[in-house]
Amino acid sequence: MYGESGAAMRAELAGLLRQHRIQQRLVGTTAEQREELGGLIRTYRQSVIVWLGQAMRAASPLAFSNMPPAQPNPFRAVGSRSPHLTAASELARAIDIARQQSSARPASTDALATPNANPMVDRWRLAARAAALAEHDTSEQVSAQMTAPQAQALVGDVAALTQALVVLDQRYKNTPGWEPLAQSTRLGWASLAAALDVNLGQPDYALDHLGWRPKTKVITGPVRPGILGVLQAQHNLVIRMKSVPNAPNLRLVVDSQRLVSAHLAPYAARIDDRLAGRWAERAETYAVIQKELREIGGLLGKGGLAVSEGANAVARLKALPHHTIVEPRVLSGFQLLFNRLDHRIADVIEDGVEQGAFFKRVTLPRLVGGGGQLVRPVRERFVPVTSAKDLEVVKTVRERLRPKDEALMSTPGPTRVDLHSALIHRPTRGGAVDVPNI
Amino acid sequence: MLLPHAQTLAQARSYLAALADRASTIDASSAYEHVLIELDRIHGDECPSADTEGLTEDRAILLAVATSALEELEQYGVDLLRLELVIAMLDDAYALDGT
Repeated sequence: MYGESGAAMRAELAGLLRQHRIQQRLVGTTAEQREELGGLIRTYRQSVIVWLGQAMRAASPLAFSNMPPAQPNPFRAVGSRSPHLTAASELARAIDIARQQSSARPASTDALATPNANPMVDRWRLAARAAALAEHDTSEQVSAQMTAPQAQALVGDVAALTQALVVLDQRYKNTPGWEPLAQSTRLGWASLAAALDVNLGQPDYALDHLGWRPKTKVITGPVRPGILGVLQAQHNLVIRMKSVPNAPNLRLVVDSQRLVSAHLAPYAARIDDRLAGRWAERAETYAVIQKELREIGGLLGKGGLAVSEGANAVARLKALPHHTIVEPRVLSGFQLLFNRLDHRIADVIEDGVEQGAFFKRVTLPRLVGGGGQLVRPVRERFVPVTSAKDLEVVKTVRERLRPKDEALMSTPGPTRVDLHSALIHRPTRGGAVDVPNI
Repeated sequence: MLLPHAQTLAQARSYLAALADRASTIDASSAYEHVLIELDRIHGDECPSADTEGLTEDRAILLAVATSALEELEQYGVDLLRLELVIAMLDDAYALDGT
């Protein structure tokens, strides 16, 4: 998830920004040793710059400028003249130049994984490692899901990190063999312009939820006692539903969800009435869907494992003692799994009908009594193939089952604030706490 | 599938669907639904549509006609043992419904 890798990067760079008197910290008696550490730091910095360039490429299709277009009225000359030259593209260009003109290579995997005895160098290592991890959080697949405000937020993050690198570059310049960033002044101004441009709009920090996540796996092993066993079966059901079930198995899964929702609602009512109401409503929705799925057939697909997990959930829930108190945490876990499963079942039904895996059953043709002719063919009626949205079940799925997208929590988070304050902080005189004693 | 077979099957499905719709508890409704799914499974999901419009509300009558329709299916080459199992499932569901 970009939220984690980005936060790690920002935290490490904020920590570095609060460190002054760099030469004192580069512990080494000889200039060669300090030069060696400086070279190591530059490889770590190069890793971060590589990621910055990649993130700008990911954001560039959506990073529109928030500047108003140029006015044709010469007396109100507000706005940018050329629409192609945005602050974001300028920042991307400056980052690319810095990357290309540096002689350092990005840190190797060994260098990223080996802890360094010097705490300051180790912070650089952690920042570079977070940058390497962030590469698959801003890959092309992820940027395809990004919205324009989220891309703006990404540009804002890149601008802040670039500014941090520029400040640090100034501070490290006395290190033996140090190579300053190419056109660092321009880089600094470009990042400032990009940050200002981003803040003319409203960046969406829901970006933090995008990116790579570890694959969820089936919970194996012995059955957990009590309500946790139900949760385990429900979780496994969500995962097993990744394979497309055939129509009878889908009906069984739908049936299990109807029962699970209806039987869980009384437990939820003791804690949260609203949740119980939602689950009772969910049970009704599934009852309607189940009724409508009777008219749907199809043998493509599997889904046996999903059915067995659904049955497990129902059986374990029924065996639960009635006086059990279910914790709010467990209830919200159920709600999360229900949402995922509802999405998945809605997808399965819609895609199945759309792609022809599911068929609508037809009512039988009526036999017509003899009308004097010897052979009377069965009267048939041909129904034209209509679009999927005419089916009742698809309508129900779209209107009732599919969970409404809830707005994700989108605050900037503490690490962005921390990095910004680290960028502008000044070392306190006298009692500077983070300066080593000489 | 020949037309008489299909008609009997459609009747059996309709009665089972009506029972599931009119069941007193959600568990009983689910049990009837399982009987219906099992019946579909026997026929390889190649079944005509069910129609519950205009059927009686009385579950005892529905049970009787559903059972007789299921028994009638034997004439059309459906395996007797599987049919018996379906009828047993139906009886269990009705017992669940009555309590």
